[in-house]
Amino acid sequence: MVDPIQSGMAQYLDLLAARQKIVASNIANAETPGYHSKDIDFQFEFQSLASTYGPRAEPHVMETPGLKERNDGNNVSMDREMRLLSENALRFQFVTQMMRNQVGQYRKALQSSRG
Amino acid sequence: MSLFETLSVSASGMSAQRARTELLAQNIANSETTRTPEGGPYRRQDAVFETAPVAQPFGSVFSAALETETPGVRVSEVLYDDKEPIRRYLPGHPDADEKGYVAFPNFSPIEEMVDLMNASRSFNANITAASAVKDMISRSIDLLRS
Repeated sequence: MVDPIQSGMAQYLDLLAARQKIVASNIANAETPGYHSKDIDFQFEFQSLASTYGPRAEPHVMETPGLKERNDGNNVSMDREMRLLSENALRFQFVTQMMRNQVGQYRKALQSSRG
Repeated sequence: MSLFETLSVSASGMSAQRARTELLAQNIANSETTRTPEGGPYRRQDAVFETAPVAQPFGSVFSAALETETPGVRVSEVLYDDKEPIRRYLPGHPDADEKGYVAFPNFSPIEEMVDLMNASRSFNANITAASAVKDMISRSIDLLRS
């Protein structure tokens, strides 16, 4: 990547993609008996990604705390998953737009140096 | 790539719900069926779901082993309802017993319709998830285009 901000943004996107996969898995298993909702601690994972260099560790997946279990042992909350789904998509959109703008700025800078 | 696997997860949810919907439609269609190959009236069937690893689009077994477990879903078994059949007095019916009673499936339209509604909503939820992910993928592709 061109600069540390862009590589930070790339890691952020990776983390969003990983979280979106977990959310999709929760939605797919919304009616599987005994399934427990999963999630990652987004803030913590992003901070640990940003502070380490070299090969990235996979985010730690854990069970979502504080959800009510239904009679079949499943505790997926559809409202929560839907909120996370759109939140992740919007965050992703936001960061990709930022990256595009940045690339546009580099391009402009290169063009103006050419004269 | 992670996002493409996410699509497979949603697809597994969609196909599981579709299989369940097929069973429910079969139940409704056979609500008056008195003859089956196993003998006796039709018995209601329902699907049981279980978590299952999704198929890798490019067979990347190695990367799958490294990645965290985010399962899809599949139908693990189809269960037969063991409710007693309803007996109706129809002496002229060819399947009537010696007392004139015919065994009909213990069919509850409300139960089937509620399950059907549930299945179709879950199907829609999986579609929503898949289109959100599709949007994320196309935005990643747009980065190359800028």
